[in-house]
Amino acid sequence: MAVINVTSGSQAILTLSNVDLAGAEPGATNGLVIPLLQDVSVSTQPGTVRYSTLDSTSSSAFTTVMENEISFNMLLDEATFFGLDSPGGVNSVTDNGLWSTSNSKSEIYFSIAFEGADSGDYFLKGQGFIGGLAPSASIDQAVWISPGTIIVNGDLTKDTV
Amino acid sequence: MTTIADNIRTQIGTNIASYTQFKVSQELPFTASGEPLYVKNKKTVYVDDEIESKIQLYRTLDQGEVYQTETTVQAFLSLDAKNQPSNIDDVVSAILSARDVVTSTQVNEGEVVSEIEDDVLTYTFEFNITNL
Repeated sequence: MAVINVTSGSQAILTLSNVDLAGAEPGATNGLVIPLLQDVSVSTQPGTVRYSTLDSTSSSAFTTVMENEISFNMLLDEATFFGLDSPGGVNSVTDNGLWSTSNSKSEIYFSIAFEGADSGDYFLKGQGFIGGLAPSASIDQAVWISPGTIIVNGDLTKDTV
Repeated sequence: MTTIADNIRTQIGTNIASYTQFKVSQELPFTASGEPLYVKNKKTVYVDDEIESKIQLYRTLDQGEVYQTETTVQAFLSLDAKNQPSNIDDVVSAILSARDVVTSTQVNEGEVVSEIEDDVLTYTFEFNITNL
């Protein structure tokens, strides 16, 4: 039992691809690794319905569906945000950048590595839509910063590299 | 390598060139025989070496570090307190304006304090510059 230490700089990795889940796995050749992430959060919340019965003084509940979301904050990298000057034609998220992928509402595949991209390392994967981009700049923060989210379409599943 | 102090020293020279009683020394304001040079050589501006500190502004999960550099430069000017030039306010203002030579900054501030000791009026200028 041990904490997962992310200070080495190669543990928490967000990878995106438009091709398939395998293409977005940690370490995948053509996956777009989002650089300069300040933080990344995984949110998973079951929908619930509460109801009351005459024989109980406390309400009861049953679950409906899971709502999953990935949120992050990043310093903007030009190529990652706006795309490549010379598109490679393999991964459209890499080619077009986060902004255009979000704007076109294109569904993407993603993974979040928790322990890096070495064999046996755990990660979560799924598919969804990029949203929540809100780039901002100020003279105090000195660089462009943006939050972002991936609205997950379906399950978040665990896997290992 | 040209430092921020070098640039400010050069710009002070440009800014006060029309005030012919004043000049800028290329020497540092060191102390000789127990007396700072700027006290010995009045109406001469001495610019000290810069003090620089690097502060980590951002650190990311992939070790993409962004550093902020804070630079402080001091300059000194002494006058005969009993016989001040009538244009001293303009000269002080011109010296403070020298900070504008440093561009692409987050913070670019200059301040001046004056102190009288015996019959010597000393202006101490401090330029604080922050950039990436």
